[in-house]
Amino acid sequence: MNIGNGKRFLPEGRHLMMGNVAMAEGALSSGLKFFGGYPITPSTEVIEHLAVRLPQVGGICMQMEDELASINSVIGASLVGAKSMTATSGPGLSLMVETISMAANLEVPFVFCDVQRNGPGTGFVTEPHHNDIGLVRFSGNGEFQVIALAPMTCQELFDLTITAFNYAETYRCPVYILSDAYLGHLHEIVNIPPKEEIRKRVIDRELPPPDQFVKKFTYKDDITGEFVIPRPPQMGTDYCPVLFLHQPHNYEGLPTPKPMQFMKAIMDKINKNKDKICITEKYKLDDADIVIIAYGLPVRSSYRAVDIARKENIKVGIFRLVTVWPFPDKQVKEVVKDARAVIVPELNYTGYIAEQVERVTKLGTPVIKIPKVCEFHHPDDILNVIREVAK
Amino acid sequence: MPEIGRMLPNEKPEHPYVIFSYGGSMYKNFATRFCSGCGYGIIGHIFTRLFEDEKLDPHLYPTIIGIGCYSQMLLLVHAKSQKILALHGRAPAVATGIKMANPNMKPIIFSGDGDCLGIGGNHFIHVCRRNLDCVIFIFNNSIYAMTGGQGAPTTLYGATSSTTPYKMFENRSDGVQLALAAGATYVARTTVAHPRTYIKYFKKALNHKGTSVIEVITPCVTYFGRKNLDNLGAEYIGLEGKKMDTGGKMIDWIKRNTVRINQAKFMSEEELFNKYVIGEFRYQPDKPEYSEEYAKIQKIAMKEE
Repeated sequence: MNIGNGKRFLPEGRHLMMGNVAMAEGALSSGLKFFGGYPITPSTEVIEHLAVRLPQVGGICMQMEDELASINSVIGASLVGAKSMTATSGPGLSLMVETISMAANLEVPFVFCDVQRNGPGTGFVTEPHHNDIGLVRFSGNGEFQVIALAPMTCQELFDLTITAFNYAETYRCPVYILSDAYLGHLHEIVNIPPKEEIRKRVIDRELPPPDQFVKKFTYKDDITGEFVIPRPPQMGTDYCPVLFLHQPHNYEGLPTPKPMQFMKAIMDKINKNKDKICITEKYKLDDADIVIIAYGLPVRSSYRAVDIARKENIKVGIFRLVTVWPFPDKQVKEVVKDARAVIVPELNYTGYIAEQVERVTKLGTPVIKIPKVCEFHHPDDILNVIREVAK
Repeated sequence: MPEIGRMLPNEKPEHPYVIFSYGGSMYKNFATRFCSGCGYGIIGHIFTRLFEDEKLDPHLYPTIIGIGCYSQMLLLVHAKSQKILALHGRAPAVATGIKMANPNMKPIIFSGDGDCLGIGGNHFIHVCRRNLDCVIFIFNNSIYAMTGGQGAPTTLYGATSSTTPYKMFENRSDGVQLALAAGATYVARTTVAHPRTYIKYFKKALNHKGTSVIEVITPCVTYFGRKNLDNLGAEYIGLEGKKMDTGGKMIDWIKRNTVRINQAKFMSEEELFNKYVIGEFRYQPDKPEYSEEYAKIQKIAMKEE
């Protein structure tokens, strides 16, 4: 089912690209075969670009009748063995959550691009606002784990989309790319690596060897105690359960009266692999006593703020979360261990990640939120807080 | 509690096509979960028999099942057919993804009146509009039976249900007329009281390239029959009705309450009120099919490159 022809890759070199387009190209490079979408500002460019590019490489881009249909068609295509994705914004995501919950149960791999916009309700449709951070983690009925990646440049939108597809294939859970209205419409230079290099990076949808056809869903190995995640089953082949039933099921896909065992499988397959999943970046953290924890666009302002503050001999560093969910508890705990204060600039008012940081910091360490809604953090906004803390 | 759906060591399947049994559960040796008098046994039987007789490749004919009483049919119908339980009303959308990602397949969709005409109405309209190659069954028992007999979009005028305790006063939704308006290329309606016609239509739908919609009228004794009188659909005559509390009485009512399409042409609107018109409404084998048309688009796009 993988797309074999070389047209899916852009020519090697530097390209000026819009964020949404870079993400679409990243998806194409990782072998996207089916895209089901519904136009919604600010993610419309994704479906527009893929409507041109996907038929050229033998894929399918469908504009469905609504968001519910688009996510369901994505699940259907993924069950048949096509790498599939959808792109939408906050209001679309809130329509799609019921199916995401079903997909998490059936362990259907798919990639979900959320180009976030202002809310609640319709909001200002072209303004950035990281207000779906909580929704993506706690979306849908039932308990399940998701992976969410937060890029901050167009280059990363390209690279992390490939990573997202690999995560979807490996961990078989909903994988989100958290873009926003600002990043989606940003035009930047993207360096496209050569075809061979991308091919090496991509994990293709393949069937396991025939002797491993029995176990199709995540299970706990009795001997090693590890969670084994088999390759995604494909309809139309022998590697397919008799029925895809979204009830607590065993590794064969048959309903089981042991929901606890099933719950452990779908939660702990992520929890136990956190070290492999979580991507983080450190910037001038070695001697820092003030730590900035950020993800997505606010990181870019933080870089500038830290550089200026360092000139003023304030010891401050940045800990960047590339993987927002699952939240890297262990790494953050390590970083904030000796911190005097933690600053969390976020493009929302609630401070979804600040709350998570508060959970792992010691009592008494102040966690200072810098909320911004619909506008970019100016480096001065962060710098002022740094100066105040350093006094 | 042993695992549901597993055979006990010494147990044999009750039917050669059915690998599942409720062995070990409280319904031991209970072949079906359906109430007595339910029509879904007939439907599941016909599907399984046709699947075997027509020698359909289970890899190419996936079954997508919506939410309703008929969801239990996934344990009854042909063991080898690959089945998905879709979300409530979303079966046509899942089928679209499957068909497009693998155009060799022909999805068979099981959906009910609440599933297809209520919550999933939009998906149903658009799959018919695209003329995607699939078979859609609408099992119409004119009630939401799984949740306990609430009023459905197809509940007949004047009928009693648990959410319309006095009488149903809403207009009835007609799956066949909706499919015709949306552009499905094979549209038919039959009942479980006419199984041979049902087999004929199903075979025709399997050989048809395009969206085939078959509405099947099926009895629900427990929640519809017990609460309603058999003069529904014939009120204008002034009959005094009797309770339809057994399967036989409901089958009788269905037979009496259906009109053949060529007969219906000569009947007035008043006479057809609350009646089911059965027969083939449209057969257009030469209309372009969606996945084939998309393949043409792919060819155009590849040449431009």
